[in-house]
Amino acid sequence: MPEVRVSHLFKKFGNVNVLNDIDFTINEGEFFTLLGPSGCGKSTTLNCIAGLEQPTAGSIAVGGTPFVDTERGIYVPTEERNLGMVFQSYALWPQMTVSKNLAMPLSIRRASRGDKAERIHDALDKVGLSHLKDRYPHELSGGQQQRVALARALVYSPSVLLLDEPLSNLDAKLREQARAWLKRLQEDLGITTVYVTHDQDEALSLSDRIAVMFEGHMAQIGTPKEIYERPATAHVAAFVGSCNFFTGKLENRNGRICQVRLDNTGAIVTIVADGDFTIGQEVTVAIRPEKLAITPEAIDVAGVNVLHTEVLTRSYVGSRYEYGLRLGRNVVQVVSADGGLDGAVRLVFDPEDALLYPGVTIPSQEAQELMTVSA
Amino acid sequence: MAILATERPAPVQQRAVLPAPKYRKVFGVGRSRLFQYVVIVILALFVIAPIVPILYQSFTDRPLYEAGGILTVQNYVHLFTDSGFGTVILNTAIFAVSTTVLTLVIAVPMAVLVVRTRLPFGKVLGLSMQWPFYISSLILSFGWITLYGPAGFVSVVVRDAIGFVPWNLYSLGGMAVTEAVALAPIAYVFCANALRQSDASLESAAQVCGAKPLRILFSVVIPMLRPPVVYASILTFSMALETLSVPLLYGTPVKIEVFSTFLYTNGLQSIRPDYGILGAASTIILFVTIATVFVQAKVLKNSQRFISVRGKATRPRRLELGWIRWVGAAGILLYVIFGATLPILGLVFRSFTLIFTPLQSPFKTLTLANYDRIFTYTAYINSIVNSVIIAAVGAVLISCLALAAVLVAKRSNFRFARTVEYLALGPQAIPGIIVGIGFFWAFALLPNALGGLFQGALAGLIVAFGLRALPTAFGSISPALMQIANELDNAARTSGADWLGAFMRVLRSLLFPAFMGAIILVFVTMMKEYSAALFLSSAHTGVIGTTMLELWVQGNSGSVAALATIQIAITAVFVAVASQFMKGHADA
Repeated sequence: MPEVRVSHLFKKFGNVNVLNDIDFTINEGEFFTLLGPSGCGKSTTLNCIAGLEQPTAGSIAVGGTPFVDTERGIYVPTEERNLGMVFQSYALWPQMTVSKNLAMPLSIRRASRGDKAERIHDALDKVGLSHLKDRYPHELSGGQQQRVALARALVYSPSVLLLDEPLSNLDAKLREQARAWLKRLQEDLGITTVYVTHDQDEALSLSDRIAVMFEGHMAQIGTPKEIYERPATAHVAAFVGSCNFFTGKLENRNGRICQVRLDNTGAIVTIVADGDFTIGQEVTVAIRPEKLAITPEAIDVAGVNVLHTEVLTRSYVGSRYEYGLRLGRNVVQVVSADGGLDGAVRLVFDPEDALLYPGVTIPSQEAQELMTVSA
Repeated sequence: MAILATERPAPVQQRAVLPAPKYRKVFGVGRSRLFQYVVIVILALFVIAPIVPILYQSFTDRPLYEAGGILTVQNYVHLFTDSGFGTVILNTAIFAVSTTVLTLVIAVPMAVLVVRTRLPFGKVLGLSMQWPFYISSLILSFGWITLYGPAGFVSVVVRDAIGFVPWNLYSLGGMAVTEAVALAPIAYVFCANALRQSDASLESAAQVCGAKPLRILFSVVIPMLRPPVVYASILTFSMALETLSVPLLYGTPVKIEVFSTFLYTNGLQSIRPDYGILGAASTIILFVTIATVFVQAKVLKNSQRFISVRGKATRPRRLELGWIRWVGAAGILLYVIFGATLPILGLVFRSFTLIFTPLQSPFKTLTLANYDRIFTYTAYINSIVNSVIIAAVGAVLISCLALAAVLVAKRSNFRFARTVEYLALGPQAIPGIIVGIGFFWAFALLPNALGGLFQGALAGLIVAFGLRALPTAFGSISPALMQIANELDNAARTSGADWLGAFMRVLRSLLFPAFMGAIILVFVTMMKEYSAALFLSSAHTGVIGTTMLELWVQGNSGSVAALATIQIAITAVFVAVASQFMKGHADA
């Protein structure tokens, strides 16, 4: 199973730069996910690997074989790349039965009749659908269609598997199970896989590594844990999981320990952060809802960061409670197991759990407006 | 679905890797690219062949196949000084504008009534509204003359009743009314489709706000029709500019000339046709029609922004209009009966009688003599056979070419994909009679052996009629292809099929119904066509249309009616059989 090397990829549609210097390497057998909101260029990147689109500049090589290299004028057409691809709509050919769908790539490759039958049987077996081989696509459920599409992409033992939001058309309940199943299958096959999704849960649970993209730029590449716990930018923090953002000013700094005065209440919080910050600089503090703890006003807490707030809303979401707390004009989202909190409370968090970003980088203006109340 | 959660994928056995196929290249390009170049070259030859000789002739001082021609603008000077071309322009303008207005007056209210209101027998009326489309406007004109002409059946009845005939068919007004009846179905279909696609929730919103049905009609439904109405009016205008049948039959006796009849009289009826003037007039007319089609394309491009189309299918809600709906139904019925049904039935009836007038019961002179005359002359029989051969062979060839053009234009990364689309749709800007003139000269310029293949031969007619039918075929296949998700061919490509392979293995069978639809449409179009044949036919390669004109000039209106009946019958049988055949394949 070869590695995929994508270097300095650019793509322009007219005057719009859809891809800007996209550069990454996918290791052999790795499950690699391109994550980002729609229009961020993740599908374009995948299509460039597949050969369905030609980059304006840059190169792509799989297992050392160059597929595209704009400088050397190399372009291998899609059909000669030997990749397996599953499309969002599954793209099963509606006029052919399941086994005919699987047979087509094999007959293009002139496989012998016996070899063909065996491979089709094996591939359908892998996805647990060999009993449905004579059905037409429209006679299958969405989940079955998705597995047939996967079998069709695997039947000729391609070098790399490309998946373009393959789970997005399944209903929510099925999607979780299909996700776990896909993960096991990929591990068993050990096939290098490139996965495109806008669903952060999918990306976190499936991937060995994730590349987060915004507006044609690569924001961060890392393991799911790195992406979630140490997001490189406020945008990544906002997109992967939910996050509270407060603007403020850096008051004081001692090594990694930073003191920030929050704009909303004027309170000073302590945050442990790496990176270059100068005193007086505007900064943004980001804290995940589950890193915040609420204690009743009555109980005294010892801790560095204690903020006085009051409960605005409380919603029960099954496994936990979600609170909206007032902090100046901001609404702070907090997740808690305790459902009995009300009135004036205290908000506590560990300096290690907050993230600090330079400048006022509120990721979504609209979301921020919705999180604002009149003082 | 529990299967997903519990089942463990079977243990993996690694199989030998099947390498991706390698495709051979000729001159550094694959066979797919080669195919795309072949398509664009064929289209370019096809479209340019009739135009270039016309342009060249318009600037040459003698027939273009004679040696020693000198470039000159004299032809244009002559055209505007002493050929009466000014009057022709004026006539054409009046005719085209009034046809457009009348067409819209008929088509737009009917589209609104049929699609958007609860009309008595709405479905039947909607369908019958479209059937004049299948009848050639030549036949329709014969029918109209038979009933409403100076000696027509209805005219005579009216004169007996009130002492005079309140209309004159042989005038610009009469021409415009007939042409409007012939073109209304096209404008109707366009507006009706736009109305069907528009979002019904807009009307529901108006209703929630408290608007009554009539109010909704005038403040929501009709304003949304502006883009299709603008488009339909330009379309009608450009078709009225180039039409030949109505002006030829109505205008010639009273010497009213428009663009097409000017070319007809100067090219065919004068003893020594002035090719220079013919070329110059053709060039100018060509520019005008190309300009209208250009405007049409521009408007359509913009109008698509306004048409509200949702991915979600909403069923249009029909408004309840009360007693007005009966007025609407009656109006449509009047159009269908007096515009198309009666003239056609009259014509069919005419073919079985010797004399057709209310003064004497036509049943007294029932006869098959009109058909006898046709079937005793080989030239007449030949023209029927020729028409069928041309339409059948042409339908298959043109549909294949159109299919290839659609694939290249809509589904390839070919650099000239847009050019292919323009070339395939462009011929709608070339009037039939100019196609005839252009190919006539183009075949004359070919080397003898090659020219002989086309000159006065069926092959030449297939080429000329085919050019006229190409945009129709392209337009009917293209939406079908657009409905097939691009991912289906991408899946074939990643599986190892090249561009041509993806078509052969996946798209071909999916496009089959659309291809059959195109064949039917091209057959009907080519069966109706005759104007290009006026210049291209020899004595034994006439078609039904040219023979009808010939018989008309001889005064054999009975045999004209017989031929028209035969043509309608052939078209009806073909459409019925082909649609039946299509039904059988629809589920495949």
